[in-house]
Amino acid sequence: MKSLAEVLRDNRAAVLASWRANLTASVDGLVGSEETIVNLYERLLDGFSRSLTNSLNDLSFGPISAYMAVLSSERARDGFSPSATSRLLAAFKAAVEPVLRAEYASDVDRWQQELRKVGEIVDQLSVLTFEAYMKAREEVIARQSHAMLEISTPALRIWEDIILMPLIGVIDTSRAQHVMEQLLLAISANEARVAILDVTGVPIIDTRVALHLTKVVQAARMLGAEIVVTGISPEAAQTLVRLDVDLSSIRTRGSLRAGFSEALRVLKRRVGTID
Amino acid sequence: MTPVEQTLLTALVPIITELDVSRARQEATAIAAAHGFSKPAAYRMATAISELGNNIVFHAGEPGEIRLRVLRADGRLGLEAVAEDRGRGIDDVALAMLDGYSTGGGLGCGLPGCRRLVDEFEISSAPGKGACVKVRLWI
Ligand SMILES: Nc1ncnc2c1ncn2[C@@H]1O[C@H](COP(=O)(O)OP(=O)(O)O)[C@@H](O)[C@H]1O
Ligand SMILES: [Mg+2]
Repeated sequence: MKSLAEVLRDNRAAVLASWRANLTASVDGLVGSEETIVNLYERLLDGFSRSLTNSLNDLSFGPISAYMAVLSSERARDGFSPSATSRLLAAFKAAVEPVLRAEYASDVDRWQQELRKVGEIVDQLSVLTFEAYMKAREEVIARQSHAMLEISTPALRIWEDIILMPLIGVIDTSRAQHVMEQLLLAISANEARVAILDVTGVPIIDTRVALHLTKVVQAARMLGAEIVVTGISPEAAQTLVRLDVDLSSIRTRGSLRAGFSEALRVLKRRVGTID
Repeated sequence: MTPVEQTLLTALVPIITELDVSRARQEATAIAAAHGFSKPAAYRMATAISELGNNIVFHAGEPGEIRLRVLRADGRLGLEAVAEDRGRGIDDVALAMLDGYSTGGGLGCGLPGCRRLVDEFEISSAPGKGACVKVRLWI
């Protein structure tokens, strides 16, 4: 009696044809190109012919596992769901089943055994597909949020010795850390003596944000720079008073304009008119 | 006799990370605006929620939730937030309500400040039993 791998090898054309037929052109055609299907088939065949167990961890299934993982993460990066990739596997299984039934018609036990093997490998590959998809999505999200951190904390040199960093969005722990790093870098790169931190775009200033601000001020002082915080809204000011947060160590000014004047005052400079 | 309370709207936000705290705050701000609360009042409620939510994230050690409710009682409209967790709880509530008391490197004015931000404030907690803080603001 033929082995599973031999059955797959001898019925190659038939299985490929019905596999293709099992795919709905509109949805699965996106992943199930002729080339992909043939590549998958070669690797499945290779795996089944060398494997000793029904586990995907069997080294002989390495090539098919790697191929599926790459296929799935490519799809994830393109923004597609993993379901089409796993439907591709389901379609393979459906194509193999009748061939196995015919081949092992005389030996029910053997038929069950080979069918189970195909089923178990396909199931494990589906799990792997989803895992690879999730991992790729997480990487995309991590990259995007990192990119957002970058653009959300630009440091602008607005005057000799003065830099401005407008903060926009929620200041949570990781954001606060990023602001701290970027501001200190900008201070030393520009040899700035005053940094204006504008918080107009920060939705809430609670005690944690206040604490972060105080820490930024202390760190900047070590570099010889003063921080002027601007853009605290009237609501935020009222709230901070009720919270009884001590911001006396921080120079705060309502508007950016007033903050700039304060920065010039710190530098003992003045902007005059040309007569 | 306690006046009859009528619930007009409820919302629940699970609190696990700082992002969830932002979500609860945004939800409360939107609800406050939709029900005619002033901007300063909405901001105060948002700040109170931020304090209570961050306390769950940083002190409770277990997930919690913030429940929001718009209610009417005595012809007045109120916004209520209940922050509850099943975490490690507060050893000494009276101490925790003092300005400047923090076990976690915070400023320690979250809870006492929160009480000054709202019209009604209730706290209950026991070690190992989690914490529950209810705040209300009336129009
Ligand atoms: N949900 C909670 N679970 C456990 N402990 C809490 C909780 N909320 C507050 N606490 C305790 O109460 C203390 C005071 O809280 P708070 O006034 O908000 O100050 P801070 O958060 O800056 O420490 C905290 O340091 C903590 O020990
Ligand atoms: Mg706190």
